[in-house]
Amino acid sequence: MDIAAERIDRLHDLARAAAADGEDERAKHYVRLARRVAERNRLSLPRTFKRFTCDACDAYLRPGVNARVRLQDGHVVITCDCGHHARYPYE
Amino acid sequence: MALTPETLPRHELNGLPVRVVDSDDADRIGIMGRVVLETTKTLSIELCVPPEADRWRCDEAGERRENGDSRVLTVPKSGSVFEFAITDEAAGDEKSLGTASKLADTQPADFPADCAGEDVAYVTVDGSRLLSRPARRTETKGDSPWQ
Repeated sequence: MDIAAERIDRLHDLARAAAADGEDERAKHYVRLARRVAERNRLSLPRTFKRFTCDACDAYLRPGVNARVRLQDGHVVITCDCGHHARYPYE
Repeated sequence: MALTPETLPRHELNGLPVRVVDSDDADRIGIMGRVVLETTKTLSIELCVPPEADRWRCDEAGERRENGDSRVLTVPKSGSVFEFAITDEAAGDEKSLGTASKLADTQPADFPADCAGEDVAYVTVDGSRLLSRPARRTETKGDSPWQ
């Protein structure tokens, strides 16, 4: 695992911890930085990272706190507080 | 490529326990805490436990600080020397921080040498080596100290 992938992992943990502490702005900074590192190094983000961050406002999503999770027919809809929806399928 | 003393200048600094060893501004020497935000030219350090003397001065000046609230200080990278504490586990254990800084006082490390504590290594890095955008730092090829 190279440094960039490790940095992304670490930023993911930091973002989660910051969000849990209520430091939302700080969590957003970490999420943005992780995205930027992935972009510069041509890495894809881990699936958990994609599922727990908002594409529109970079917030780290905590279901029940700043995100709503609803099951629809064949897919999950996650709604961020900013109003953005993300969908992914389930079996 | 784990976080080692050699790779630290290219690795993630956010969340690491840090101490300002030397600085152009004498008031900044001795700042201890955790890196919470990095910009091209500065590191923001959240003080874990504000030192007594510091708290005093703040009360005197009647400044913004509330009791028990953490303060975030911004330290310029250029002209400062930072000492990072690296643990073997994921970084940012606040528990290890207390012992880390105490040990560091007794035996300051030279870059890139690390003093081996109990799975805590102290790395002293000149701030000018960290001068670059947070996302760009990783990309410099090789771990040569001349880049």
